[in-house]
Amino acid sequence: MHAARILAALFKINVQQELAYRADTVANMLVSLMWLAWELTGLAIIFSNTPSIAGWSFGDLLALSGMWRLLNAFLQAIVFPNTEKFNRGIREGTLDYTLLQPANSQFMVSFSRVAIWNLWNVGLALATITIGLLISESRPAPLNIAIFLALTASGSMVIYSLWIVLIALTFWFIKFDNNVTLLAAIADAGRFPATAYPVWLRVIVTFVIPIAIATTVPLQALRGDLPWWQIALALVAGLLALFLSSRLWQAGVKRYSGASA
Amino acid sequence: MLEIYKRFWQVNWAEQWQYRANLLMYLAYWLVSPVVYLAVWTTIANAEGNVNGLTAGDFAAYYLTLLPVDIITSSITIHVLAYKIQDGTISNELMQPVHPIFTNTLMNNIAFKALMLIAFVPIWIILVLLFRPALTITPLSLLVAIPALVMGFLIRFLIEGIITLVAFWTTRVWSIWQFDEAIASLLNGAFVPLALMPTWVQIVAQLLPYQLGLSFPVLLILNQLPAEQIALNFGLQVFWIGALYGAFALLWRQALKQHSAVGA
Repeated sequence: MHAARILAALFKINVQQELAYRADTVANMLVSLMWLAWELTGLAIIFSNTPSIAGWSFGDLLALSGMWRLLNAFLQAIVFPNTEKFNRGIREGTLDYTLLQPANSQFMVSFSRVAIWNLWNVGLALATITIGLLISESRPAPLNIAIFLALTASGSMVIYSLWIVLIALTFWFIKFDNNVTLLAAIADAGRFPATAYPVWLRVIVTFVIPIAIATTVPLQALRGDLPWWQIALALVAGLLALFLSSRLWQAGVKRYSGASA
Repeated sequence: MLEIYKRFWQVNWAEQWQYRANLLMYLAYWLVSPVVYLAVWTTIANAEGNVNGLTAGDFAAYYLTLLPVDIITSSITIHVLAYKIQDGTISNELMQPVHPIFTNTLMNNIAFKALMLIAFVPIWIILVLLFRPALTITPLSLLVAIPALVMGFLIRFLIEGIITLVAFWTTRVWSIWQFDEAIASLLNGAFVPLALMPTWVQIVAQLLPYQLGLSFPVLLILNQLPAEQIALNFGLQVFWIGALYGAFALLWRQALKQHSAVGA
């Protein structure tokens, strides 16, 4: 009940902020449409030279680009704005006010800013995924669809946890305001199936900065490419990551002593 | 004048050196896309034998040449100038008796790129070992490429300068810049070698200045252009520098008239 009321209040504030800069919102939406056109052009160029990439057809890659857009929407809507606010909080000491609020500090730091216009991106992403799957004419069984949804959720948890770990590290290394740059930089690697990469790059995007867990892996499950133990592993990874990152966050907050103390 | 440039260089080098840890992060930005494209095309080329005659080794040579060329010819003008126009701090630089963009901004660009290149060398060696490119570089092709690289940089510097100047009127320029980036990355050879594009796209690419700052120097270094193509592109580089400089100078004069500083 408490959490729901906080969420409602945050939502209202963020909608108001978005409406204050309407021209920006429209420009952002147009730019993201333009990038969608860019991605389609890129795929058209690739597939005018080859029928498939590592067994993935045009429709499959279209669906993957939708998954990638979903991940990107999460980064743009939540990760980037809240990291900016968090870094400023650490530098200037305003984080104290967040920590003093009678609510879970990790929750407040993660979700107090939401760039609402990214709902547009989420819509585009869902449309792209659906159209991609229709083109690839895959008829996934209901079970596979359920696994796909579960793995998407678990992949999001992994990415979210990685982000929490990155910003929590700031409590130890104060001068770490580049904390999410690496995440943003490597996100581009999610545009293509990890199975098309050489082994070393696949290892990086699966285990080191696990972009593929939220993009390639759920679609692999939908296609029925994954053995059961890998599905189980991916599901466990989400919960484990969530647990470990929140422990690290708590340890970090204990260490925190304010900007001037 | 040389003394002025020397001083600007010292200041900007010192400033960039201070942020060397950040540079490594920016380098990651620079690396990921080309390496991903290379990985994808390598997989396709290996599966099909070749793509339009290009083997995996050819793709590796292309992208591994493109990476340093991109660092050399790219411009960071919008990142160092747009916010100064937005918050009015550009006024300080306008007081100086030299053109701020062709002194301070230019030197800042060069200092940034010099540091990036130094940091990039070890990474480049690792990538060469990983991808085994079929490099066709000769001392002569490298020598011929030097003027192409310098002019390619000037072209990209002027294009981005022009876009940044729009900030004098609209304050925010990032959306326009993103549009330009998207078009540029398709037409300058960053996404795929232009030879793999449909013919009409290749014609459009040849008509626009974007390929002169990236694709042309890359293919020149790799010895993949016939003599008449080389001559044509050098001529186009000179032409575009003149045209873009003219447009930039015109816009700059209008911008200064428009400028009233924030809060005035």
